[in-house]
Amino acid sequence: MTMSWLLGFMLKEEFRVHASYSSRTMFLSFPFIITMFALSIAVTSGRLLAYTPLTDAILLLHVSVFLYGLSVGAFGFLGRQYLERTNGTRNYIVAMPAILPMHLRRTFFGMFVRDSIFYVALLLAPATIGLMISIPVTHFRLTSIGILFGTALLSFLLGMSLSFLVSTVYMRSRTGFAAAVIGVSGIFGAAGTTRAIPLSWILPGLAAHQNLPPLGTNAGAAAALILLALGTVAGLVVGAVLLVPDRFEPPAVEVRDELPRILSRLRGFDRIGTLLGKEFLDLQRSGTFAKMFFSFVTPLLFLSFTAWFVRYGLQVPVGFNTVFYAGMVGFFGVILYNWLNNVDATDYLATVPVSVPEVIRAKLLAFLLLTTWISVGFVVTIAWLNADTRLLWLAIPIVVVTSTYIVVLTAYLTGLRTNSFLFDPGVLARFSVMSILPDFGLTILSFTIDRDLRFAATGIGIVLAVLAATTYILLKGIDAKWRGTEFGE
Amino acid sequence: MSAILAAQLGKRYGHTDALKEVDLRVEAGEFFGLFGPNGAGKTTMLRILTGQLRPTSGGAQVLDVNVVEEPLRVKSLVGIVPEVESPPSYLTAFEYLYFVGRVRHLESLESRIARWFDFFDLDENRTSLCKDLSKGTRQKLMLAAAFLHDPALVFLDEPFINLDPIYQRKLKDFLLGYVAHGGTVLMASHLLDIAEKLCDRVAVIRSGSIIATGTLNEIRGRDTDLESAFLRLVGA
Repeated sequence: MTMSWLLGFMLKEEFRVHASYSSRTMFLSFPFIITMFALSIAVTSGRLLAYTPLTDAILLLHVSVFLYGLSVGAFGFLGRQYLERTNGTRNYIVAMPAILPMHLRRTFFGMFVRDSIFYVALLLAPATIGLMISIPVTHFRLTSIGILFGTALLSFLLGMSLSFLVSTVYMRSRTGFAAAVIGVSGIFGAAGTTRAIPLSWILPGLAAHQNLPPLGTNAGAAAALILLALGTVAGLVVGAVLLVPDRFEPPAVEVRDELPRILSRLRGFDRIGTLLGKEFLDLQRSGTFAKMFFSFVTPLLFLSFTAWFVRYGLQVPVGFNTVFYAGMVGFFGVILYNWLNNVDATDYLATVPVSVPEVIRAKLLAFLLLTTWISVGFVVTIAWLNADTRLLWLAIPIVVVTSTYIVVLTAYLTGLRTNSFLFDPGVLARFSVMSILPDFGLTILSFTIDRDLRFAATGIGIVLAVLAATTYILLKGIDAKWRGTEFGE
Repeated sequence: MSAILAAQLGKRYGHTDALKEVDLRVEAGEFFGLFGPNGAGKTTMLRILTGQLRPTSGGAQVLDVNVVEEPLRVKSLVGIVPEVESPPSYLTAFEYLYFVGRVRHLESLESRIARWFDFFDLDENRTSLCKDLSKGTRQKLMLAAAFLHDPALVFLDEPFINLDPIYQRKLKDFLLGYVAHGGTVLMASHLLDIAEKLCDRVAVIRSGSIIATGTLNEIRGRDTDLESAFLRLVGA
């Protein structure tokens, strides 16, 4: 089977998987929504650029697409998951090398290329089209938009390939994986905090952009940086592909029977306690605890770095206080709830007397019991590091209420298939409105604290009260919304 | 008394009718077989009758419980062995049965589990995670889970398919004893030789419609064996 054939099948599979979450029409409207979103941002960019210099806006854009690439490129985890665990009645091409004369390495490379094409078609290209449509109003140059697309694509591919490499190290060795994560974090830390490493080494796409119009005119340097970026991406991908074992045999695991002991501690919870106990064991044995921890802590570190960079690097006098962090941390809860739904297939639950809403409630309870301490701990730590513990009395209720709200909202809108339903434009639109509005409100109010604490605290109190009431309504609504759904549907 | 009573049951997926106005009655204490070619609607029928799927039209009562209105009640009363053996990946064999028993609020759970571990010789797999078990062992586990609460009615979708001849024989003997003691079985299968040995009555389903129902002799009719009758009925 040639690579193009394989890729064709994989793209078809990916399209059908996503279309199955809503419908073909709904799925195909996703890029259209992105185009409209980019258009609206472009049209209002004059106001935005009055506050944020173009160089800073471009820096944030490159860092954002790089992080997005980082978040979608972990094929080592994803592929291993497909190979290792049962997927109910579903199966995917990536698992076919087990029974067909196909190379696992080629299939994993296919996943990388497939997702590169998929995300460019789904996000980057529609966003670029949105900018192009705005030209009559914004008078952006077509060449500038082309440069933006090309260099942002490089940053995105760099994020994806780095994530691909590090996750395939995980397939070989947990210790190697930890060393790789520490190494990459060290490089970024050195670049971000001490400037010991030039930023262009890490994001050559950004550096190339800075050398091209409208930011610069050094085409020679830009060409060299583009080549460096392409070479780095190619090197990372080749490294990742070589690390994929051509015969992957998940290690058989022997464990002690721990469920009875866990359930005896959860006796007070009745049947939901049984589901909760199983959630705990699933998370522990599948290694999801570690993945959750990393996927939560990474954006938190990035958030801290960005805030630090804006304040001290760009010298923008924005008051990123403890309350600001508390609001942001709460809204990252969606990542953790998504992980809870990715541990294992739930088809077998159709054979026992439990309902989808009961399992959703067990997952929500697991989230609250397992992760609240991480969020609160982070806020306390960041307050202590910034010598800003005076606002903890306000920050801790914020982090608890917002994280509970965002997770209940996600559970209400997406049930047990968060990753899938967030590709449904209808669900995504509702999720965006219901999460961005309160987050925006809390962020603005956090900036007013030093001017008028009473006003800010009252405003935050009102927002939290509304969020708590909405959380209660959504929690009650989960039963009605998901009662008729079956496991595996 | 009827253990299963379905009237005008229909299920539509997009433009495809998976089930077309099916009527079915299975009496308590009966071993009833549901046979048909691939894609005939057997699994859809079983999933509707066990509350896993909602019918597009019609309705059904299982042990006097309405499957559309009270799917959880149906699942608490019956045992189900699904077509795909998929116990949770990260529980051990023992833990899965313990989990099922706790969900069903069973007393004397340890002794119930011990009985099925003994029946299927599962002790050597006690500490293995389900994801590492063989297909056959996973199938045994799903069977044990279905019978753990001593249900009055079980729905079995291809229960013999992954078992070796030793356990096929063991399961056959068990099922015959189960029915002799008043239990009811609705089994979907392709294995006609097993059906001949076990079923009191059978239904043949093709393209979503039941085209014949009756005792084995009635279905066999003028044909010499069940296989020939089946092939004639499904038009193969």
